[in-house]
Amino acid sequence: MTQTSPPLILAIDTSCDDTAAAVTLGRVVLANVVAAQTDLHRPYGGVFPTVAKQAHKENIKPAVNKALKQAGVTLQQLDAIAVTLGPGLAPALEVGIELAQELAKAWQKPLIPINHIEAHALSSLARANKKIYSISPLLTAKKNLEKIDHKLIAQLPLSNKISFNQQNIFPVLAIVVSGGHSEFIKINQLGSYEILGQTIDDALGEALDKVGRMLGLGYPAAPVIEKVAIHGDENKFKFPLPMTTSGDFNLSYSGLKTAASRLVSQLQADSQLNQQAILDLAASFQYACFRHLTYKLNKLLIDQNYSVDKKPFKQVWLGGGVSQNNKLRKMLRKILRSYQLKLFTPYSKKICSDNAAMVGIAANFHWAISLADSNFLKLDRKPSWSINK
Amino acid sequence: MKIIKTADHSKTTILKTAIKVLTAGGLVIYPTETVYGAGVDATNQTAVKKLLAYKSRREGKPLSIAVASTIMAQKYAQLNSQALSLHQKFLPGPYTIISKAENNLADGVASEFGTIGIRIPDHELVTDLTTALNKPITATSANISGKKRPYTIQDIFSNLSTKQRGLIDLVIDAGELPPNEPSTVIDTTLSTPLTIRGNMLSHKNNLALISCSDQETIDIAGKFLLKYWDKIKNRGLVIGLNGELGAGKTMFAKGIGQFLKIPQLITSPTYTYIKEYSYNRHNIEGIFYHIDTWKIDQAENAQLLEIEGLIKPKNIVAIEWWTQIEKFLPEIKPQLIIDIQILSDNQRQLTFIEKP
Repeated sequence: MTQTSPPLILAIDTSCDDTAAAVTLGRVVLANVVAAQTDLHRPYGGVFPTVAKQAHKENIKPAVNKALKQAGVTLQQLDAIAVTLGPGLAPALEVGIELAQELAKAWQKPLIPINHIEAHALSSLARANKKIYSISPLLTAKKNLEKIDHKLIAQLPLSNKISFNQQNIFPVLAIVVSGGHSEFIKINQLGSYEILGQTIDDALGEALDKVGRMLGLGYPAAPVIEKVAIHGDENKFKFPLPMTTSGDFNLSYSGLKTAASRLVSQLQADSQLNQQAILDLAASFQYACFRHLTYKLNKLLIDQNYSVDKKPFKQVWLGGGVSQNNKLRKMLRKILRSYQLKLFTPYSKKICSDNAAMVGIAANFHWAISLADSNFLKLDRKPSWSINK
Repeated sequence: MKIIKTADHSKTTILKTAIKVLTAGGLVIYPTETVYGAGVDATNQTAVKKLLAYKSRREGKPLSIAVASTIMAQKYAQLNSQALSLHQKFLPGPYTIISKAENNLADGVASEFGTIGIRIPDHELVTDLTTALNKPITATSANISGKKRPYTIQDIFSNLSTKQRGLIDLVIDAGELPPNEPSTVIDTTLSTPLTIRGNMLSHKNNLALISCSDQETIDIAGKFLLKYWDKIKNRGLVIGLNGELGAGKTMFAKGIGQFLKIPQLITSPTYTYIKEYSYNRHNIEGIFYHIDTWKIDQAENAQLLEIEGLIKPKNIVAIEWWTQIEKFLPEIKPQLIIDIQILSDNQRQLTFIEKP
C-alpha cells in the first residue's frame, strides 16, 4: 500500500443514540447514513429518544447496506472497516463493534478502531463528493482493483496522516461541542492530542437540550433553541459568566442550567412565562452559554498565542453537534479574527452531529498504522476512552 | 507484652506502667466504658504506624482520640459552637464528637476529610492516663478491623495473629466489660450534625442534611460512602439520586468519585446514559457506574441499559432521576436513596433514605 493511495473505508458508529454508517475515500465522503432515534421517536409524542441498543441492532445492517449502495461499492472492494470503540454507551458501542468484526472477518479486511472524539475533532477535514474532485476515475480504478495513477489523485483532498502532518498548520485547536462533550483539544499532529480544557459538569449541548425542554421546546432542543432565539432578546435575562476566577480553560454549564431552571420556575409562578418570555429566555440562555465558551476560548488563545514559550495555534477546527449553530460560529469567528485565525467547520450539518463519515475520515489518517497492527478480531469497546495523549 | 490485671494492682502502679509504655511509643490495650480500646500516643508517628499495622486494613476509616477534657480537645481540633455544645451535654460519655483536626496529630490519625473524632471516655483510668500523659491517645476499639467487638481480652486475642500480638506492649485487663454499645459518633463538621454510628441520637431511616456548598455535598457523599464501605466491598452499592435539574446530583456523584480516588473528572452522563470509571481505593478495585436516566421514559428503554448486570461486589451504581425510572426496574433495589432539594442558590437539603 503506497502512501498516496487513499483507502476506501466503511465506517460504523453506534456510540450513543444514532446508528451511523458511511463510506469514505480518503477525505471524501461518498455516503453518510444516520438512522437517528430522535426521528423515529418523535411521532409517538415522547420527548425522549429511545435507548440505543435495540434500535441499533435493528438499524445497523440496513444502514450499512444503504451506505454501500449510495457509494456504489461492495464490501469486497473496501480497503478497511473503521468502527468507533468509544467513548460512549457500552451496550450501544458493542453493536457496531460486533458487526464491524463480523464483516472484517468475513471479508478479510483490516479493522481500524476510532475514538469518537478524535472523529469529531477532525470532522472539518471531511470533504463532500463534489464534481470538481472528479473522484470517479479513482473509484473505478479502486473497484477494479487496478493500480492507482498517482497523477490522478495529486489534486484530490486525499492526503494520509504522514503527508498531512508535514503541512505547516500545527498546532491546531479543535473545539468539540456536542450533547456529550465540550472540549478544547490541542492537536500537535494528527494522532497527538492534548485536552486543554473541558466541561467539569454538563456538556454545552446538554445544557441547551435541558433548558430547551424546560421551556417546552421538545428534545433534542438545542437546534430549536437556535431557531427561536432569533426572535428573542438575548439581553433580556442576565446570566452569570461562570468560572472567571479559575485559572484554567475548563467549562461549566451546570450553574447556568440551574440559574435558568430557577428563572423558569419564577416566571411560571408569576404567570409570566408567555411566548415572548420563552423566546427571550432561549436567546439569553444560548447567548450566556456561548459567551462562556468564547470567554474561555479567548483566555486560552491569549495563553497559547501570546506566550513566548508556546507555539501559537495556526488553525481552529470546530466539530460536534452544537457546531452547526450559526450564532456560535459567528461568535467564535469574532474572537478568532483578532488572532488572525480562521475557523474551519464541517461542510454539512450531518457531519456535525453524530455520524460515521467523520469516523471514516479519522480512519483515513490512521490507515497506515493500523495495517501494521491488524489484530482486528480482538477489539473491545472502550466506553470511557480519552484521546488525551 | 505485659498483662496487668486491674484487680491485682494499685491505680498508681497501673498508671506508671502505662505512661512509661506510651511515652516510649508503645501500644496499650485499655478498658473504657464501652469496649476495650487500643491506645498509642496520637502525636507520635512511629507509635501511630504501629497501631495502624495492628488494626490492619483501615482503608480510610479514621481513628479517634481520647482526651481528658474539652480544653485538651481544643489543642487538637477546632471545636465549633455545635461541637462545644455537644461536648458540654454529652462528654464525658460514650460519644465520639467529630471536629476539624488541627495538624498536630501524627499522620493517619485524622480522617481523609481532615477531621478527627474526639472521645472523653467516662472512665477514671482513661481520664487519669491522658491527664498524666498530657497528650491524646488513640481511642479506636482494640479489635482488629472487621472482627468482634472486644468486651474481654479473650475477644481480642482470639482473632490476632502472632505478629499482631507481638505489637501489643501492655494489656490493662479489667475483666469482662459490661455489654455497652460502641460510642455514638456525631460529625459536627457538616452544616447538619450527622450521626454515623449508634442509635442514641439517630434519625431512624430518614436523615436530612443541609449542604451549604458544593464542597460540602462532596464531603457528605464521601462520608456516606465510607459508612457503606464494607457493604460496597461485600455486595456492591446501588444509590438512587433524585432532585430537579440543577439540584446537584452530579455534584454528589463527584463526591463519590473523590471518595473512590478516581482521577478523571466526573461529568454529567446524560448524553450517553452511563459513564463508567475504574477505581482503586486502598487497593480495593471496582467500577463506579454513573447513570443518568433523564432521557428515559419507557420500560423497554430502561431495560436496555442492562443495569442489573452492573451490580456486583465492589461496584457502585449511582442512578440519577431514580423516581423517573424505578417503576420500570422493579428488580433494582437501591440500598440508599438520596433526594436533593434546592433551598436557595447555595443551600441544598439532602434527604437520605436507607433501605437495609
